[in-house]
Amino acid sequence: MSRPASVPAAGALDGYRSLVESQTGPDEWFDAARSVRPDQDLVTTAVESLGLGGLLAARAEARRLVEDDGIRYGLADAVDDVPGDRGRSWVIDPLPVVIGSLEWARLEAGLRQRAQLLQLLHDDVYGERRLVSERVLPAELVLGHSGFVRAVDGIEHQRLVLGATDLARGADGAWTVIADKTSAPSGAGYAMANRRVTSRVLSSVHRGASLERLRGFFHTMANALGDVADAGVDTPRVVVLSPGTGTETAFDQAFLATLLGFPLVEGDDLNVRDGRVWIRSTGRREPVDVVLRRVDAEFCDPLELRSDSQLGLPGLVESARRGGVSLANPLGAGVLENAGLVPYLPAIARRLLGEELDLPSAPTWWCGDASSRSHVLTNLDSLVVKPIARGLVVAARFGWELSAAQRDDLRREIEERPWAWVGQEPIPMSTAPVVTPSGLAPGRFVLRAFGVTDEERHHVMPGGLGRVNTDPSSMLVSSASGALAKDVWVLADDPSGVRGWSAPSPDRARTLVRLQRRTAVAPRVADNLFWVGRYAERAEGTARLLRVADDLAADHAQRPGTPGAATMEVMVQAAAALTGVAPRADQGPVDHLRAMVGTPHLLGTVAHACHRLVVAAESVRDQLSQDIWHILSRLDRTLATPAPADSQLRPQLDTVLESLLAVAGVVHESMVRDQTWGFLDGGIRIERAQHTVSLLRATLALERPPIIDGQVTESVLEACESILTHRRRTASGEGPAWPVQSATSLLLADTGNPRSVAFQVDRLADAMRLTGDDLLVTATATLAASLAGLDLVELCSGDRSALLSTLTNVDESLRAISSELSARHFGRKPRRRVLLGDWSGGVRA
Amino acid sequence: MSRQGPDDFTPRRYEVRHRTTYTYDDDVTTCYERGFLRPRETPTQRVVSNDVRITPEPDLLDEHTDHFGNHSFYVEVRTPHQVLEVTKSSVVHVAWPEVDLAGLNRWTVESAAEAIRDTGDPVTRATYLLPSPLVEVDEAVKAYAASVLAPEAPLGDAIVALTHAIFTDFAYRSGVTNVRTTLQDLLELRQGVCQDFTHLALGCLRAAGLPGRYVSGYLETSPPPGQQRLEGSDASHAWASVLTPGGDWVDLDPTNDHLADSRYVVTAWGRDFRDVSPLKGVIYTESTTSSLDVGVDVTRLAEL
Repeated sequence: MSRPASVPAAGALDGYRSLVESQTGPDEWFDAARSVRPDQDLVTTAVESLGLGGLLAARAEARRLVEDDGIRYGLADAVDDVPGDRGRSWVIDPLPVVIGSLEWARLEAGLRQRAQLLQLLHDDVYGERRLVSERVLPAELVLGHSGFVRAVDGIEHQRLVLGATDLARGADGAWTVIADKTSAPSGAGYAMANRRVTSRVLSSVHRGASLERLRGFFHTMANALGDVADAGVDTPRVVVLSPGTGTETAFDQAFLATLLGFPLVEGDDLNVRDGRVWIRSTGRREPVDVVLRRVDAEFCDPLELRSDSQLGLPGLVESARRGGVSLANPLGAGVLENAGLVPYLPAIARRLLGEELDLPSAPTWWCGDASSRSHVLTNLDSLVVKPIARGLVVAARFGWELSAAQRDDLRREIEERPWAWVGQEPIPMSTAPVVTPSGLAPGRFVLRAFGVTDEERHHVMPGGLGRVNTDPSSMLVSSASGALAKDVWVLADDPSGVRGWSAPSPDRARTLVRLQRRTAVAPRVADNLFWVGRYAERAEGTARLLRVADDLAADHAQRPGTPGAATMEVMVQAAAALTGVAPRADQGPVDHLRAMVGTPHLLGTVAHACHRLVVAAESVRDQLSQDIWHILSRLDRTLATPAPADSQLRPQLDTVLESLLAVAGVVHESMVRDQTWGFLDGGIRIERAQHTVSLLRATLALERPPIIDGQVTESVLEACESILTHRRRTASGEGPAWPVQSATSLLLADTGNPRSVAFQVDRLADAMRLTGDDLLVTATATLAASLAGLDLVELCSGDRSALLSTLTNVDESLRAISSELSARHFGRKPRRRVLLGDWSGGVRA
Repeated sequence: MSRQGPDDFTPRRYEVRHRTTYTYDDDVTTCYERGFLRPRETPTQRVVSNDVRITPEPDLLDEHTDHFGNHSFYVEVRTPHQVLEVTKSSVVHVAWPEVDLAGLNRWTVESAAEAIRDTGDPVTRATYLLPSPLVEVDEAVKAYAASVLAPEAPLGDAIVALTHAIFTDFAYRSGVTNVRTTLQDLLELRQGVCQDFTHLALGCLRAAGLPGRYVSGYLETSPPPGQQRLEGSDASHAWASVLTPGGDWVDLDPTNDHLADSRYVVTAWGRDFRDVSPLKGVIYTESTTSSLDVGVDVTRLAEL
């Protein structure tokens, strides 16, 4: 780590201190007297020990880790085949925000009370509605809120399992609630990702710190989700319902599913039968007892909610109503994400809990109340004005930033639907230091705290998702508006630092084991696993072939007419046949090969296969080892930079192959040999077998002059990673003496060669056994028997038309198995149509 | 239909038969439906019997009482089919009183709105007073409402006047509007059907501060003089209902220019058509076309 000498360690601290002196609002690090706050020694240590140079290095390291782990946020590109924008990389500032144990305990108590209050409020809103009928709470705040879901009204025992609360500091430094996230709170996965990255880039500081750990929170969450299953269910099955990889927080969803050990599913992976939710799978029918819902409520059921939704599944609401499935959180919980509730919460707390509300919110005026409305309208220039419900049109408007005309428009909007608006006094918000090349800069800080409620109590994650903007004069702090993430370190009051995770009771432990067992594999998952296997293998096979052709081109391209040049042409043409990438008219063999390494847009290229590998892997992120992401990320980088125009392709292809071998290693060594492995390995085997068959067809299945034939044979063996075995055998006199026969035997029929077609077919049979599909096991065994019965001497004699037709037959058998596998296991639902009733027109005299 | 007379308020019984048939050009593998297949009980009607028949036989038929108090049915059919037929047969005893308009006239539109605001049930009031998806109260609706529902008008007279105004100002024409027509479209088109007129009446009532709900049901018709009734020739109907300060609802039918009488059978009510759509579904199929056929018969039963 280099430390620029011009920035002494103390410079960063002093520079920051002088910046926060002149600002309004509290700072996390320094108090008003310019002293480091108690509990902030870790921040001081980090800054003083690393200096700005060290912090910048940590920042760069954090970015690399984020890139490697594929931690992303934001919208993915909608166009399937165009690579690149799979959302922005998540940006983590390396300095954590530290919160002392005493302060945290106070905050925790407040969050616990709030969770209890919101639960009781939810029960009343979807139950007796006494708060409304007794005029404690204005009816419009419930019935006029888009989060009030009439379709689930009256469903009882709906627990708000998950909770999140956005907080910032008020002028007095007290944590103040900005917003409750009750519907489908996101960010717990990001919080864990922040911790993993920050603890690595600040490892020296982190090692010495006595912190609350986060992992236990996810165990608690897994348990709490199991708790809400119907009481009669012995071994509850939980799934995480995602809107898909093309959503802003796709990483968070998938990572959370991984942390919880529950499968990540999409609406298409489930269906409703007999008023229950099931995982669609050809193997066995498996009911789902609990759905951790990351799909917005209104999109969850096209039958009862938004009919234009493609995400949810029809019958889900009915299933919830019948108690066949429990949703976490319940579909109606969004009504609590409601700024209009703020002025009424103190009275509601007294009413429902008999307690004073602990955590304050910013002073808020609900415009549905006439005198509050007039306060808001006369103070528009100093208030934050926002709708009570999240709508299509965003969000908070800062009165002081509006022009006179904009203020008039806002006034009209408020007068049009007063009940839909609130005005809030701005919260001062604290600042926290952000590492920038020019020093530590203050940014406004918002904390998202997370909680889960189980049968006994509400548990708060000892940490959270910190976000900080880079402009302390702005009050906008959100990931969507480009805020940076910060890890939040809660100092342990118990130095063992394990408060968040007490050892489970034996009963609990059994539940955990049950919860984390493997579930049925949905067709979408099976399909993507299969293609992870195929594309990884396709990329590898193509890269090997191109590497051989590239070497030949380097040696022989300038010597036309030689046997070497002829061999090169055969191999380049074979590569073209396999990839489907034809040369442009002006392209020589070297440029043609370069095109086959290619770009992600161009079908058949190495880059395309790698891109599709990443897309497929992202769709089954929860099924794969975390280790795969940094390899895929390196692969991406390798292919993003084409080899220099005058150099060989080999160095780049070597690097690509290293990554692909690493992928294969991770996959092999980390996946349990169950159905999921069956589909993935099935993809690898079918692809490698087809690749080898196609290569043999394009090369050895055509008779050539012996000198060329011999060189082509060597090249093919090299492309198939079998040249050493071949030489060893030839030298020891094993196997057929004639090279073409020997090579064909080794690559087609030798069940001991891990590169042969016969070997792939045997492994495919194993894979099909794992998927539990007897029909495909039989089909594969038949193919294996026919390979075993081949007379290679006969096949390789004469003009080799017999070899060609045999290879064609093998290829057809493999294709038949592949399409049968696809038809039997990857079937999507038929198209879905919504039939809305027609207007009858009625009756007129 | 004949004009309204005292005879129309006598108690009676109807059998209502409502058959919905969907036909597809390919197999539907799974079908989920939600509909209102049992009339609700109301102060003016009692359900004597109700029978639901669905072919193919559903794998699950479930009923619950929805947010508005209606009988909502969930249907799951997993037998592959190209024709789905849902038939509901109900026998209903109906007796609507004549509305005491003079009594209502002790309030003005404005004083009624105030009384409801101050003393009415907040849930009911907010449910039926706030805008709903198909009843968006914008400037155009407010302007029309102001021309037909003056704040100072006596309440009883105003309800009759509103019913008459829509009847007079809008032509009855089917096929011009559909489930996606908004009030703003209607005010430009100046023509529509009962669903449109009901939505407009609700928009006017809500603009004036009076909670209004959408009622879906049936209305007995008489065949043209000298002609036989054709089977299946009736239709479902819709009208509006307004909350009055005493807590009673008054049902008005702007399509026919009078208040409801004993020829009116209620199925369900809600904020607008969306809440009480008689039958809607989600199907899984490769079929690209479907046809919908609805047959309704409202038959007055002989007195026992």
